[in-house]
Amino acid sequence: MYKVLLATLTTLLLVGCSDQSWRTTDVADIMPPLDFALVDENGDSVQAEEYLGKPTLVYFGYTYCPDVCPITLARLGDAIRKLDDETRDEIQVLFISVDPARDTPEVLKRYTDAFGPEFVGLSGDKAAIDAVTNRYRVAYEYGEENENGDYLVTHSSAVFAFDREGQAQFLVRDSHPVNDVEADIKRLVAQG
Amino acid sequence: MAYLMHKTMIKRTCRQLAFTTCALLLTAGVAQAQSLDVTNARLSLLPGNTPGAGYFELHNSGDESVTLVGAESPAFESVEMHISSEHNGMAHMHAFESLDIGPDERIEFAPKGQHLMFMRRVAPLNEGDEVEVVLTFSDEQRLPVTFNVVSPTSL
Repeated sequence: MYKVLLATLTTLLLVGCSDQSWRTTDVADIMPPLDFALVDENGDSVQAEEYLGKPTLVYFGYTYCPDVCPITLARLGDAIRKLDDETRDEIQVLFISVDPARDTPEVLKRYTDAFGPEFVGLSGDKAAIDAVTNRYRVAYEYGEENENGDYLVTHSSAVFAFDREGQAQFLVRDSHPVNDVEADIKRLVAQG
Repeated sequence: MAYLMHKTMIKRTCRQLAFTTCALLLTAGVAQAQSLDVTNARLSLLPGNTPGAGYFELHNSGDESVTLVGAESPAFESVEMHISSEHNGMAHMHAFESLDIGPDERIEFAPKGQHLMFMRRVAPLNEGDEVEVVLTFSDEQRLPVTFNVVSPTSL
């Protein structure tokens, strides 16, 4: 009897925990709300406020990255496509390019369109990008140019998630299992 | 005279032997190329002129190690071997020059790891197209491989 009670209590505690925190990294108390002043895919100046009202995922990358960036975005797209039809339209993914020299609005638009209608490309001048990367404590660094003028960019691999009010919720690292990422995105969208 | 004849015959036999050895060596070279087997060759591509990534599996069923030293394709101005890695939350990518593949070893070029980086397409490409790529090895072997053009969303 005692054992059964203990097991029930443990289960209740576990259920309680899973309701309280994200399966990926909870950053609700340590990351500031969504805020930026950037340029969108149409070349228009935009503010973070314009993106409030929908749960938002933010990823920092660059289009000249053939491997990690498209795979990360494609996996987010997979997770979004697993959502119910009604909730799917409610989420948006902001791809903030830290390589504005190559990622013009036109290039960004073509790139993000390939992943789905939820994906929006943003960039800006160095000061505008640095304001965002400093705010979320992520770094980026340009490699040396080769003889063709090509260069690689080292950038954060994290995906930041914000709720409809723009409050930071969780952070997805490369090491988080896909199941956990999908569960958290589903929960983020389901939140009222 | 008989002695001279004999000498010529020996010379001829030697030449034949040398020829046979040479032919054998050549055959060995071909056999070695046949011992390399590439499967699941995909070229992940996005619209425009952003670079693409090449993924595949390579099995060396031969008895000798081979060293992959690069790739080339008539469809792209340049192809490099790159590796992605993650340290302290940062995504890194750098080029590498060669990769040894031991006897009976299988290697994989896969998302977020080793990949071919295809830069500047010569002509527009679409999903479903096929691209000819030649993998090059340090012993001058050239292995032609057909890559299927796919979207990164299909990987």
